[in-house]
Amino acid sequence: MNATGRHADPIQDHIAALAAALRGPGKAKAQMVQDMRDGLVDTAEALAGDEVSYERAARQAVREFGTLDELVPSCQQELTVRQARHTARAVALTAPFLITCWYLARSAGHEGTWRLPLAAQLLAVHLAGVAIVAALLAAGTLAATGAAARRVPTPRRLPLVVAWAGTTASAAMAVAALALATAAAMVTNWPLLACAGGLAAVSHAAIAGSARLCRQCARLS
Amino acid sequence: MKADAVRGHLDGLLLAVLESGPLHGYAIIAAVQDRSGGLLELRTGTIYPALNRLERIGLLSSSWESAGERRRRCYELTGAGRRTLADERSAWSEFTAAIGSVLNPAVPPGLAT
Repeated sequence: MNATGRHADPIQDHIAALAAALRGPGKAKAQMVQDMRDGLVDTAEALAGDEVSYERAARQAVREFGTLDELVPSCQQELTVRQARHTARAVALTAPFLITCWYLARSAGHEGTWRLPLAAQLLAVHLAGVAIVAALLAAGTLAATGAAARRVPTPRRLPLVVAWAGTTASAAMAVAALALATAAAMVTNWPLLACAGGLAAVSHAAIAGSARLCRQCARLS
Repeated sequence: MKADAVRGHLDGLLLAVLESGPLHGYAIIAAVQDRSGGLLELRTGTIYPALNRLERIGLLSSSWESAGERRRRCYELTGAGRRTLADERSAWSEFTAAIGSVLNPAVPPGLAT
């Protein structure tokens, strides 16, 4: 009996403890936990009978299922790879987008009556370099953790590398957003730069959250 | 058979029991235990991350199916999964033949002329 005076359900307790111990992308984690709960309930129903109560069958099902120490490492390892893919996908999609924004801003500057300030141009080159490296690493990660993983084992530290690449790309995008906002204030044709800066800020927010979760997952794996 | 010994062959076991058609988690566990005559000591919870990994690398696909009032996630072999299973089988045959020929030689070395 638990603190609220109700009989505890060993399956719900075990699944709740498992869910609390795991970190990872919401959908993947929810599906894995739901699948495990279904398996436990099915096992308990199969074990229960005329001489075995459901509660006793549920306890036996939990024992056969494995302890948290036995289950969490393999579950977390899979969720960490899933999160690394999530972060890599975000970087792979937003980094080229950011480079395109810079390119459009520069092109518009060359064709029109205004130019991007020199400092902003130099910064853009460096940030574009960071974005290109991060995007290439992200594409490599998606390949290495997808079909290629059938033949080549996924390097254990790859999620941590992706997490820091995402963090770096996110920081680069924050700097880009600030630089574009500053440049927009200095030129007459500001709407394009302000728009690019806004998009960089949105990209930064999207990648920063994913990279933070990826770092947490990598630490647990 | 101890869980550590089974772990290295878990992928092959899961692919093999899914060869005949889609199954949900508990049915996969039951099929493995049934086929092994209950000799494989396997923590049943360990199959779920393995199923997720096999799906991620494209050897399985999954879908949610209704079973009475509940929905269950059913796993199915993909074409790549069938090819991998065939590779696993031939690798296992070669391995057991090699180990078997050492453990049970046809002619004991001391009697060879």
